[in-house]
Amino acid sequence: MPRAATRPGARAADRLRRLLVVVPYVVRHPGARLDELARLFDVGERELVEDLNMLFVSGLPPYSPGDLIDVQIEEGRVWIGMADYFARPVRLTRSEALALYLKGKALLGAPGLSEAPALTSALRKIEGGLGEDTLASLAGRVEVGAGGHVARSLALVRLAVERRERLEIEYYTAARDELTTRRVDPEHVFSALGNWYVVAWDHLAEVERMFRVDRMRSVRETGETFAPRGLEGAGRPLYSRSERDVVVRLLLRPAARWVAEYYEVERIVRRDDGEIEVTLPAKDLQWIAKLVLRLGGEATVIAPPGLAELVAEEARRTLALYPSAVRR
Amino acid sequence: MHPLERLINLVALLLEARRPLTFEDIRRLMPAYQQGDSASAKRMFERDKDTLRDIGIPLETEATDAWEVDQGYRIPKDRYYLPEVAFTPDEVWALFVAAHAPGQSGEAEQAFQKLSTGTETNVLAAMAERTAAPGVDPSGPHLGAIADALARRRAVRFRYRPAQGKSGPREVDPYALVFRSGNWYLVGLDRARKDVRSFRLSRASGPVRESGDASAPPEGFDAASLLEAGPWGLGRPALTARMAFSSKVAWWAIPSAPGAIVRRTRKDGWVEADIPASDNESFVSWVLSFGADARLTGPRSIRDQVLARLTVLSREADPAEAVAVSDADHTEHA
Repeated sequence: MPRAATRPGARAADRLRRLLVVVPYVVRHPGARLDELARLFDVGERELVEDLNMLFVSGLPPYSPGDLIDVQIEEGRVWIGMADYFARPVRLTRSEALALYLKGKALLGAPGLSEAPALTSALRKIEGGLGEDTLASLAGRVEVGAGGHVARSLALVRLAVERRERLEIEYYTAARDELTTRRVDPEHVFSALGNWYVVAWDHLAEVERMFRVDRMRSVRETGETFAPRGLEGAGRPLYSRSERDVVVRLLLRPAARWVAEYYEVERIVRRDDGEIEVTLPAKDLQWIAKLVLRLGGEATVIAPPGLAELVAEEARRTLALYPSAVRR
Repeated sequence: MHPLERLINLVALLLEARRPLTFEDIRRLMPAYQQGDSASAKRMFERDKDTLRDIGIPLETEATDAWEVDQGYRIPKDRYYLPEVAFTPDEVWALFVAAHAPGQSGEAEQAFQKLSTGTETNVLAAMAERTAAPGVDPSGPHLGAIADALARRRAVRFRYRPAQGKSGPREVDPYALVFRSGNWYLVGLDRARKDVRSFRLSRASGPVRESGDASAPPEGFDAASLLEAGPWGLGRPALTARMAFSSKVAWWAIPSAPGAIVRRTRKDGWVEADIPASDNESFVSWVLSFGADARLTGPRSIRDQVLARLTVLSREADPAEAVAVSDADHTEHA
């Protein structure tokens, strides 16, 4: 009581909000364990008991013993009776419903999640089942593109993150076009730009690194566990600048403009002829050469020197796959 | 009396009331409002009412007499109680993962708790042990407000910074929210430009303000069609391309093309597959992105485009070197 008395309004509102969910839960699960409730509702056990004690003296007029909510706490378990009117939880506010619904939709946008079918059906139930004014009007108005690459190893990697298990992975580094085998301690999994990423300690280079799950050719459990180093998870920049970065400058014709939107570019200069010049940092030129290649002539290399030749070389190597098509 | 106790009693009273109760009724029934004079009790009641509404309790006001002099209050049961929605344990787990995905989780978590009160204890207990929920946080600060406006068919105003060009105000009638490649986009009528446009939410800034009722989407508007991959994707499938990939890239390149079918693995390790392809630049660009690790056999129209592009690209460094492409020959094997 003393803590609540200092700021009655806001704290009481939070506690009421929580009680209106805890009570229906306990009514439906007689004898629920206090420690379980505390964990489920993310609240301290002492605070929870304080809240439940408040119910003892609550009920309906005239508040005689027979009108009060019946709460029993015995040996770490809780029973609640005489509270039929609180047997079901209060409706979701629209912003609560939206918060969960949109997070779920976004999760579906990164392919490879094993829960995707269950999540899809759960979101459909929420869409239609929460009443007219909650989400019903959004049906058909929120769409998710299943672009991105399918991360086949996602389930294994997630399990390893949860259990803090060291993995041995065969990893394809697109930037350098190489396949390596390395041991990693995975700490976080998250998705960004439609792909799944793992933040892990890389024992090959002895550094913290981010790996794309869809670029893991194989994932093998090592049977070893690790102590987390507290690496930063979701929300970190996907690209971190380093001293070794090469500054790449490209001239993009209209059909290649999407590059400025898709990649993290440092500078965009718009030219009168409708072309734009972008500056972007890169650790390796290999992937930039592939990028220019895929732009198929809609981009021109300005810098660094040597990149244009790298592109032409790759183009010639590719052309060589079509021997009879080329006459010299 | 503790404010929490008073609030619980007020909810219980108004939920069980058979008719709307006036403040005087409530004061008579609840000792909590009998302390002090009527004016200060009324102020306390007003604050309590706001608190209940703030946390989403549908507290309604109704006239209790024909002359509408007295106001009565009640909480209609049909608007208070969460409708029964039955979820399978798998669905509950999926919602748990979504609620705990990175980003603002307070409200999503509350939503999850309400939805899962009917779930078996052991199912929930097993979840609470598993904390490592993966996810995304592409929401940004504006998603909630814009989704809310979309749900209520309201127009919105915000500042927007396009990829190229200067930041400026936009007034949009929201038609749909689209999530693609890790970003949320608002699709709607740009009132100033009189055209349907899409806006990446991470490029919106400043507060999102509502600005009146929104117009309805035009006949035949289809948000899903806006999901067609951009130039960075494979485009909308129109035909089937026959391709081969080196062993270095085949294992991730082929699964990344929806609907791809592996035909065989050759002795040299290259994997042949049928890939659903668009008939435009997007697909040509996708083929080129693999460089010398992918080869397209057909159809010829695409193959010709690929070869034409490669020819230009191979000249880039040394324009003097002439390379001629014959489009007559498509029988060779790599």
